[in-house]
Amino acid sequence: MSDRLRRLQQNGSLLALPTVAWLVIFFVLPLLIVLVVSFMTRGRGGVGQLPFTPEHYERTFGVFFIILQRSIGLAALTTVVCLLVGYPLAFFIATRRRLVQQIALFLVILPFWTNFLIRTYAWRILLGEEGTINGILTGLGLVGEPLSLLNTQFAVLLGLVYGFLSFMVLPIFASVERFNFRYVDAAHDLGANDVRTFLRVVLPLTLPGVLAGCALVFIPSVGAFVTPDLLGGTKGLMIGNLINKQFGGSGNMPLGSALSIVMMALVMISLLVYVFANRRDARA
Amino acid sequence: MATYDVELVDIVKEFDSGLRAVDKVSVQVADGEFFALLGPSGCGKTTTLRLIAGFEQPSAGRVLIRGIAMEGIPAYHRPVNTVFQDYALFPHLTVEQNIMFGLEMEGVNKKEARARAAESLEMVRLPGVGERKPRQLSGGQQQRVALARALVKKPAVLLLDEPLGALDLKLRKNMQYELKALQRDVGITFIYVTHDQEEAITMADRIAVMNEGKMLQIGSPRQIYERPESVFVADFIGETNFIAGELLERGPDGFGRVKLADGTVIRAQLSEALSRSSGQVRLAIRPERIGIATIAETGGEEIDPSEYTVLDALLIDSQYIGTDTRYTLQIGEATELVVRVQNISELDSSGIALGQAVTVYWHNSSATVLDI
Repeated sequence: MSDRLRRLQQNGSLLALPTVAWLVIFFVLPLLIVLVVSFMTRGRGGVGQLPFTPEHYERTFGVFFIILQRSIGLAALTTVVCLLVGYPLAFFIATRRRLVQQIALFLVILPFWTNFLIRTYAWRILLGEEGTINGILTGLGLVGEPLSLLNTQFAVLLGLVYGFLSFMVLPIFASVERFNFRYVDAAHDLGANDVRTFLRVVLPLTLPGVLAGCALVFIPSVGAFVTPDLLGGTKGLMIGNLINKQFGGSGNMPLGSALSIVMMALVMISLLVYVFANRRDARA
Repeated sequence: MATYDVELVDIVKEFDSGLRAVDKVSVQVADGEFFALLGPSGCGKTTTLRLIAGFEQPSAGRVLIRGIAMEGIPAYHRPVNTVFQDYALFPHLTVEQNIMFGLEMEGVNKKEARARAAESLEMVRLPGVGERKPRQLSGGQQQRVALARALVKKPAVLLLDEPLGALDLKLRKNMQYELKALQRDVGITFIYVTHDQEEAITMADRIAVMNEGKMLQIGSPRQIYERPESVFVADFIGETNFIAGELLERGPDGFGRVKLADGTVIRAQLSEALSRSSGQVRLAIRPERIGIATIAETGGEEIDPSEYTVLDALLIDSQYIGTDTRYTLQIGEATELVVRVQNISELDSSGIALGQAVTVYWHNSSATVLDI
């Protein structure tokens, strides 16, 4: 290594100092506090106090396990639906000519211009018993009674897919756009039909985008609380809502901390899976 | 009727943009032939190849492979394989997996596929790289893998799209020789797209010269080089002198009388494709077919004036290029003529001085009369 490069590297680490300081003060330290509090006993006003106890973890994996399961299940389902809808959409956009591409991408991003809360409220209006969808369905005589769409897990799933679909579409779009379609010719040339060409060539080569999209959808879905709160009612309660509640007036901060730590651990695990899969792919 | 490995009948390919990439092309390629599609970029040669492979569908006309019409038969069911210009090796698969890909699609069992992959790697003289990823190989090695991947399928016809285009000159020369030897060994029909006329001449049994979607001339390298049927072919293949003239008479013996700009009348071979029987024409003469003599010398040499054309010329430039010396001469008022003389001994290149009046001569059959 040249002296110049070494000096540059030293200066480079100096440049990272503000960010490192920021992360230590506002991320690492609070995280350690949360970790410590999660082992404390619930005191007056829901704050933590000594002595240390593992009871909140026991409850997390005990009575609250079903909510944890539901959160992971809903997040996984959201990821799968986003993938099934997002991949074809991303593929379609990536294979259009430039102008169509730009318009389509603009449309994908357009919803972000409106506040997420407002957009989720809009779904309440669409899904409610007196809502738009039921109005149309009963008006056309397709259903006798209005369907109960709101306050179901289905509504939460719909809201989550709606909210996070773009995070799936954009990385896959980037992957497909980089994909060299000569490989499709080559696969056809070697006797692979369309399905096998997709499975053996197109999908593996666009996998980095798929994995990135899955991580970007799954991680926020697990911890989502606005969507389940507004669209799920009690049936759609997710771990995010549970955590949210523990830090309110009659809450239980140690329990909330334990739930947070477990959720973070889950997200970390899924991230590790992503990194591992990606690295194997990079080596491949 | 004899069946050909590949037969194109009045093929037309028009793209959505209205571009007519291939314009009424008909050609027959025989079994075991090394057939080159030669032309400048954008001439339609690659599109023609893609039509045979099945990546494109013709707007009109028919593609037959071994006598079977290919209409409606997708690329993955055609008995042809392609070596792509950029090789298109799958980057996520190893070399071995790349080669086995096509065999797997045929349902060949893994063990046999392995053995055949190893065999084909040996055939392209690249054994032992099966475990590597394509990007770990050099361009020349990737080229060989692409060849092995296509040949392992034992296709009726191998289509090659400028396979040597990305290699450096020396490697390209070696590969030309090797490819030709390989083709002779495996006996598979090769259809080889290139814009490099030298490549086509050295490798192919027959060449089709294409321009603007049309096949201008199909023939052996010798025919294409010696008897070009159009100004484009004469110009595209090798170096050619063109001299404007007026056709006075078409002789029954295949020769005609042409009047040059300065009034001199000479005899020259008529191209078989020549359509006109009088009027403006062009003479095409290869630089190496022209001899130069100083006035003093000609007296001594035996040149039969009925067989040869002899003209006065002025030497205006000479360029030493190693094997040859390239002279630029002027004949008549404004016609330049390039002459190449091989440097047989070191003395050859220094014989004539610039500005010197000399005589140029060529055999009448070396000058071909072409339509303008």
